[in-house]
Amino acid sequence: MCYNNLIIFIKKGIFFMETNRILKISAYAGRIILENGGETYRVEETICRICSAFEIKEADSFVTPTGIMISVTDLTGHTASLIRRINSRTVNLEKISKVNDLSRHIMSKTLSLDYVENELKKIDAEKHYPEIIQILAAASAAGFFTLLFGGSLRDFFVALVIGALIKTLSVKLNKMQINQFFINITGGALAALSALTCVSLNFADNLDKIIIGSIMLLVPGLAITNAIRDTIEGDLVSGVSRAVEALFIAGAIAVGTGIVLKLWFMNFGGGNL
Amino acid sequence: MILNSVYAMLSTLSFGILFNIRGKNLIFASIGGGVGWLFLLVLQQKFKLSPNFSLFAASIIIGIYSEIMARIFKSPVTIFAVCAIIPMVPGNGMYYTLYESVNGNVAKALSTGIQTLASAGVIATGIVLVSSVAKIINSRKATIKL
Repeated sequence: MCYNNLIIFIKKGIFFMETNRILKISAYAGRIILENGGETYRVEETICRICSAFEIKEADSFVTPTGIMISVTDLTGHTASLIRRINSRTVNLEKISKVNDLSRHIMSKTLSLDYVENELKKIDAEKHYPEIIQILAAASAAGFFTLLFGGSLRDFFVALVIGALIKTLSVKLNKMQINQFFINITGGALAALSALTCVSLNFADNLDKIIIGSIMLLVPGLAITNAIRDTIEGDLVSGVSRAVEALFIAGAIAVGTGIVLKLWFMNFGGGNL
Repeated sequence: MILNSVYAMLSTLSFGILFNIRGKNLIFASIGGGVGWLFLLVLQQKFKLSPNFSLFAASIIIGIYSEIMARIFKSPVTIFAVCAIIPMVPGNGMYYTLYESVNGNVAKALSTGIQTLASAGVIATGIVLVSSVAKIINSRKATIKL
């Protein structure tokens, strides 16, 4: 009896110390997923998975695209909570995949907290593709979209250049920490301006195909998908805020492209290009 | 038609790189984009179905493909679905809406805009349908195992 009490006492002490660490590690995992474009329910699921794998009695998390709130109760009845603010959001699906793998492993095997923490740090430190490759990818994306929507071979080459320009611009502006709205306005404007110039100088044939191909780079595909998935999962707050984000991005692209088109048509005519 | 699908595949591949997908996942995500677009074209041109219905069917195909690939490679479904969906996102609808409104044709702009919204909604519905069914199947499996 005495022996049992002692074990319970020691266990309680360990739980008390570990709870905070588990809380922090699960928040860290959640932050990585959320910052790299994961869905809200995936973040909540991962947090609860990690907590329950390390024998937390109750774990609740409330996640929105801009913040994570977690509250856990351990076996001794002690409750702890944590709030993390999310400021930057990019797209890096590889990191999401890796954190997802890790949380699955935690469920199936018994991993130590140190191991999990190290793995998370490794995942967090991973780099994106080098800038040059990203710019080339953006160029080829714009080029092939132009072909896809029925552009000619000349349009393809023009769109290649425009795609590279847009990506370079957005990388530069991102480094200056300018908001997403402005980046999309300038991106749309750049696409329209260079397409108009090229068509009027007779480098290319179809104005519309080139602009469509290039603005596909800016279109908020991930935001739309995530908005829908979140709403369906019942994360209404996140769903609505992501939908608004998508709408604003689309609006920004339209504003940028529209202003340039309007000014061009007013000054040089040719509204029916 | 085949050439067009190859274009779709290549643009999906480029988007995969922008989204930082690596290795096998990247290749299979881009194949998904190509397959989805091929289905869309076949439905539209061979079977003469309406654009919205073809979009719906193609997004269901993409959804099923992504669910299967996610099970095989043990990665999140999003990785495959997001990339494969990209070519179908109504970028041209967006542009023409904008173009008409810049030129002052309000009626045309509105009708194109509604068409664009409808096609975005249709794609979304397709994907959601597949993921809900996949969830039902998964939970069935789990209860059988227990």
